[in-house]
Amino acid sequence: MSDSLLLLSLVALPFLGALAASLLATHARNAAAYLAGGVALAGLALVWTAYPTISQGGVLRAEFAWVPQLGLNFVLRMDGLAWLFAGMVTGIGALVVVYARYYMSTEDPVPRFFAFLLAFMGAMCGLVLSGNLIQLAFFWEMTSLFSFLLIGYWHHTQAARDGARIALTVTATGGLCLFAGLLLIGHIVGSHDLDVVLASGDAIRNHPLYLPALVLVLLGALTKSAQFPFHFWLPHAMAAPTPVSAYLHSATLVKVGLFLMVRLWPVMAGTDAWFWIVGTAGLITLLVGAYVAIFQHDLKGLLAYSTISHLGLITLLLGLNSHLALVAAIFHILNHATFKASLFMAAGIIDHESGTRDIRRLSGLNRTMPFTGRLALVAAAAMAGVPLLNGFISKEMFFEEALSADGLLVLPLVAMLASAFSVTYSLRFIHGTFFGPDPQDLPRQPHEPPAWMRFPVEILVLGCIFVGVLPAATVGPFLDLAARSVLGEATPYYSLAVWHGVNLPLVMSMIALGGGVVLYMALQKHLRSGIEGPPLIRRLEGRRIFERALVFLSWRLARRLEGVLGTRRLQQQLRMVLLLALAAGGFAAWHRGVGPGNLVPQGVDPVIALVWVVGAACALGAAWQAKFHRFAAIMLLGGAGLVVCITFVWFSAPDLALTQLLVEVVTTVLLVLGLRWLPKRMDKPGATGVEVVTISRRLRDLAIAIAAGLGMAALAFAVMTRTPPDLLAQHFLARAYTEGGGTNVVNVILVDFRAFDTLGEIFVLGAVALTVFALLRRFRPAPESVEVPEQQRDQSARDAERPDRRDGDTVADWLLVPSVLTRLLFPVICILAVHLLLRGHDQPGGGFAAGLVASIAIILQYMIGGAAWTEEKLRVLPLRWMGTGLLLAGGVGLASLFFGMPFLTTYFAYADLPWIGRVPTASALLFDIGVFALVVGATVLMLIALAHQSVRGHRAERRAETAPRALVPGED
Amino acid sequence: MTHAESLPAWAAILVSLLLLLGAGLGLVGAIGLLRLRNFYERIHAPTLGTTLGIGSILLASMLFFTVLQSRPVLHEVLIAVFMVLTTPVTLMLLARAALYRDRREGSAEVPRSTTGEG
Repeated sequence: MSDSLLLLSLVALPFLGALAASLLATHARNAAAYLAGGVALAGLALVWTAYPTISQGGVLRAEFAWVPQLGLNFVLRMDGLAWLFAGMVTGIGALVVVYARYYMSTEDPVPRFFAFLLAFMGAMCGLVLSGNLIQLAFFWEMTSLFSFLLIGYWHHTQAARDGARIALTVTATGGLCLFAGLLLIGHIVGSHDLDVVLASGDAIRNHPLYLPALVLVLLGALTKSAQFPFHFWLPHAMAAPTPVSAYLHSATLVKVGLFLMVRLWPVMAGTDAWFWIVGTAGLITLLVGAYVAIFQHDLKGLLAYSTISHLGLITLLLGLNSHLALVAAIFHILNHATFKASLFMAAGIIDHESGTRDIRRLSGLNRTMPFTGRLALVAAAAMAGVPLLNGFISKEMFFEEALSADGLLVLPLVAMLASAFSVTYSLRFIHGTFFGPDPQDLPRQPHEPPAWMRFPVEILVLGCIFVGVLPAATVGPFLDLAARSVLGEATPYYSLAVWHGVNLPLVMSMIALGGGVVLYMALQKHLRSGIEGPPLIRRLEGRRIFERALVFLSWRLARRLEGVLGTRRLQQQLRMVLLLALAAGGFAAWHRGVGPGNLVPQGVDPVIALVWVVGAACALGAAWQAKFHRFAAIMLLGGAGLVVCITFVWFSAPDLALTQLLVEVVTTVLLVLGLRWLPKRMDKPGATGVEVVTISRRLRDLAIAIAAGLGMAALAFAVMTRTPPDLLAQHFLARAYTEGGGTNVVNVILVDFRAFDTLGEIFVLGAVALTVFALLRRFRPAPESVEVPEQQRDQSARDAERPDRRDGDTVADWLLVPSVLTRLLFPVICILAVHLLLRGHDQPGGGFAAGLVASIAIILQYMIGGAAWTEEKLRVLPLRWMGTGLLLAGGVGLASLFFGMPFLTTYFAYADLPWIGRVPTASALLFDIGVFALVVGATVLMLIALAHQSVRGHRAERRAETAPRALVPGED
Repeated sequence: MTHAESLPAWAAILVSLLLLLGAGLGLVGAIGLLRLRNFYERIHAPTLGTTLGIGSILLASMLFFTVLQSRPVLHEVLIAVFMVLTTPVTLMLLARAALYRDRREGSAEVPRSTTGEG
């Protein structure tokens, strides 16, 4: 098997498995477990296949082009360290799958669990095999993401959601720092390739950017590996199902940070900064984690803090800047993964079979689950560092390193203290759970788990014993490979043996063992009392600080910033927009200069000039009247719009003129309808007149408005007085018929040449309509505009007086002639819409104009008949229109992909229709129909939003009248 | 297509007269709108333009294009139909709104009610 195939399938297989598992039925528990187990075992087999090469000191490498323009390749690279980690990820993964099959309840959607687990496994494999820094950061974030999903798997519980959120926030933030740090390293080295980076250690260490890069990378590594002060996410992640904890917190997620530190050890370690940051974090974590673990009452909580402590131990080893310490660190990574995974599984078995994980309630389980008890005993002894088990050997190495770190007496003492603590909590785990009197009122009657559920624990415990007894023969070669791949020629001599003779580390071990036992016995009374939290540092809760920080950032700071920087006042926003536009335009003009255009000025036609005078007068009048006479202002605005329309006709742009006319009609009507809901404003001069502040504000606004208007006019003038030598329009004109199949160039541009723009625009239009609808649904008008207009009230009152008349009769009589005529016109307007739609490709018209015409027809019916009457007769479902339109327009675009053409390619041909003859047909027509449907839907949706506002107003009125009397059933 | 100079003299004269008539009526209507005293008088003025005025202009257009293209061009009939249909709607809505308001405010300008029901 070639290297590239092997590496690629090792990364891709879990993801494919995740995809397959996610497609399984919700309760296909066995199928999902077989799938996941198969994938994990296949991964393990692949890892084993690579062993011959790796054992020769070789490196498997595969490169695939990723972003070749940036010189970025997708590099997979497997050396001894990556091989060891990949083996751990897949091997323990396989065991976790077996365990999870029996652990997960039948009610849980198990395939989803395995899908997440496999995806996480894939991300882990991708991470450890990354041969490229960017890729490493990518997979790093991916592990954060999938661990978030795994921790939050039981998302119906608050604890799982909180735990997942905290874990994601902390690790993903660290991941971002890491990304920045890796980019810095890439900048220093000049390449993102791991091989190049690993070869340039001196360049990195001597670079002025070394310290920032180091801090950023370590922020990533320390958050991920739950080092103080970022450790608090890990205990909360215990809300995850136990298989997840066993996987994430023994072999994978938390080890990633350590992996990264080991990976970059040759290039980043060896400096004082490294020693102080990594060493201090490790030391504090080691001690605090072990101390807190003693006082946990939850089995998993105890294991969580012990994990933190052991991670601190490894971090401390890495921080010592010694080659031997690095070997010890790698060794302990392995050992910790073995015994911690088995302990988590044992805790899960206890929880599963007895119904609780609380040490205060558990006791004497040794009688009901003797086999599990023995297994847990061995694993816990390994954790405590009892001789002849794997934990002992790595701890001896740790003591030796602690002693040889020169000049620091504090290190061996702290190491011994933490080791004693670890003995205490291991004792507590075993003694509290399995020994003592029979348990009282447990939720379930405890018994041994199914044999296969215990099987992974047995394998792991067997590993603990074998490595503990025969370290050099079992794990020796693998450890050597990993160490050599990091240190190369500098790998020191070390001896993996159980017995090194009586030396200081052995004495320290014995003292720690004895001290731990004594401490446990001394603490019995305190532990029995069942007080939550560790003494002395109970108040120092990481989570509370985290939550407070989050609340500050996401709520208080955000609010304050919004208060300082934001405004809800429309005037200020508009002022800002205009000023910004002015500044941008002014800067551009000042920077690049404005010259005269290249077009020759022509004489002005007096007719169009006169029309423009009228238009300008209308526009000025609208602005003048806008404050107190809104209705007049809207009418004048319509006049200005008509002048624009006439201008388009004058300059032979029928399409624009048509659209302008229709838009003018629709906007005017909608604005007038909306006007009713604005609070009234009376032009009543106050006793004191207008204040000086107000006057100055108005003058300032006037100045801004004039400047912006003049700027816009100048810009338009500058654009229109010049033509570039190669006018784009020429190109469109030349190709509209030959390539777009239409003679109406405007329409061909809209539905063919620039169809993608049109597609985006109709999506925007749809979004705007939905927004208007949403805003108006929650809109509560000002108190003075709530009541029904005078005329309506009068007419209703008249109807109510006479028993032979129903409500609304008077207004119907009043509007009889207009309503008959308007209804007569409805089909005519609809035909016009269809006409405009169909001829659009060759003559003025098109989907947009047709849609507006159709919506005008509907608006007229609403206006003349009222919302209730119209909806009874003509039910328009605007959302369906919009959806159909968007789907049709998008679908036509996608359809061209099936023919191997780019998105939104138009096809056109001549179709022979009966009675009509040969007509040119383009697929753009379908697109145009989509545009048509969307425009109809969007316009009508806004109309309905406005119309129903008044319907609601009437209801409110009636409710207010009837409320004091009695509640009439059926009245809504 | 619009080669107005190729039009025969009789048709040109006729078209011009019709156009002038239409424009003149429109102008008279506009002046009326400006000069008449109250709303109920004013509302009559623009009808000059929207009936006979627009009719003359449409006739002129029909004649012009019929003669020019040597075939009957009757599109303008549609415009006339729609004008006839829609103008009353506008006028009635305006008049009734004004009438309602004036009656409610007791204005002296309201024309006398003939049927007693409004």
